[in-house]
Amino acid sequence: MPSTAVLVALSFGAASLGTLGGLGGALFLVPLLLVLGAPVELAAPLGALAVVSGSVAAGPAQLASGLVHHRLGVTVEAAAGSGALVGAIVSTAIAPRVVSVGLAVVALGAAALAFRGAGVRRPPHPLFDFEAPGEWPGTLSGAYRLGPGMVPYEARNVGQGLAGMVGVGVLSGIAGVGGGFLKVPLMREAMAIPVKVAAATSTFTVGITATISLIVFARQGRVEVATAVAVVLGALGGGLVGAKVADRLPPVVTRRVVAALLVVVAVILLVRT
Amino acid sequence: MTRRPNPEPDDHRVGDAMPLARRRRRAHLVVASKVVLVVALLGAAAALALPSPAATVVGVATVVLVVGTPMARVAWLVVRWLRLGDRRFALVGLAVLALGVVAAVTPL
Repeated sequence: MPSTAVLVALSFGAASLGTLGGLGGALFLVPLLLVLGAPVELAAPLGALAVVSGSVAAGPAQLASGLVHHRLGVTVEAAAGSGALVGAIVSTAIAPRVVSVGLAVVALGAAALAFRGAGVRRPPHPLFDFEAPGEWPGTLSGAYRLGPGMVPYEARNVGQGLAGMVGVGVLSGIAGVGGGFLKVPLMREAMAIPVKVAAATSTFTVGITATISLIVFARQGRVEVATAVAVVLGALGGGLVGAKVADRLPPVVTRRVVAALLVVVAVILLVRT
Repeated sequence: MTRRPNPEPDDHRVGDAMPLARRRRRAHLVVASKVVLVVALLGAAAALALPSPAATVVGVATVVLVVGTPMARVAWLVVRWLRLGDRRFALVGLAVLALGVVAAVTPL
């Protein structure tokens, strides 16, 4: 097992990157822990703990900026979570290698879509200048601040988007990954959610997914307190930094950062197989 | 007793016109999140600095606090949406909480 200082540093890096793009970060941390000699049965819980900690740390800044759409988040999580349960059940029947390669191809496709788009997709609307950022009650709509103006948005293709989320959940349940790296592009491309809102909402939802995983890991006795607190400390710091940076980045840069991280995730998935 | 009419589900006023109750609730959630974050940071640092028995107690408490926070946030949202009459999303939130219960009780 790596030293405490190394665990803190790695968790800081993974959580800051994960929070920045709403990807979670376990896919960055777990392979590094394995390379540094951490046992497999302890590495996955530490990855999940880094995701939860990053999500908790990013919460205050993302809540204050009104970027998190809670109604969209729980709806997405219900779809993806039920898919993940099915995926976990059928996981023994499908070779994880096949799924990992499939996930890598999907991640590369999502990265290509994000790189393809140029400029700001939704400019601020003058009619909404006096809106406060946040979600609108009873709907999957809202507004977020972009510079001095406000950008209104509304989830489109909700049925197809949620069907896609069930698919993402099935894949992530089979492969044993959180799936945040697929939720952000799906929300953005299929449901027309702005990338900053999608990333912040995904940071909220991956925290829930990782919590559910951690409940199972804890019952299996796979959470070691001494290493866990080092990961919590590093990931809380990383989550704080990631959320601050994400808040200041323009949407185009955020989209490019997410695309670059997706390429990294695809490479990790391919190397892991 | 008559139930106080609650206009909020259809009330999209925001900014300065945003209903005071909604602004207060959002502020409550932000403050609660900040408190959890500060306590978790202090707890994790203390668990690394303290000697063994105390470190374990503080460490377990910190991990439980961090892991419990996302589900507590969902539970808080469910209660809030139920009070607002936003039953559709409250049910979805309950489904998410049920997933956590399934993870906790399913035989390993």
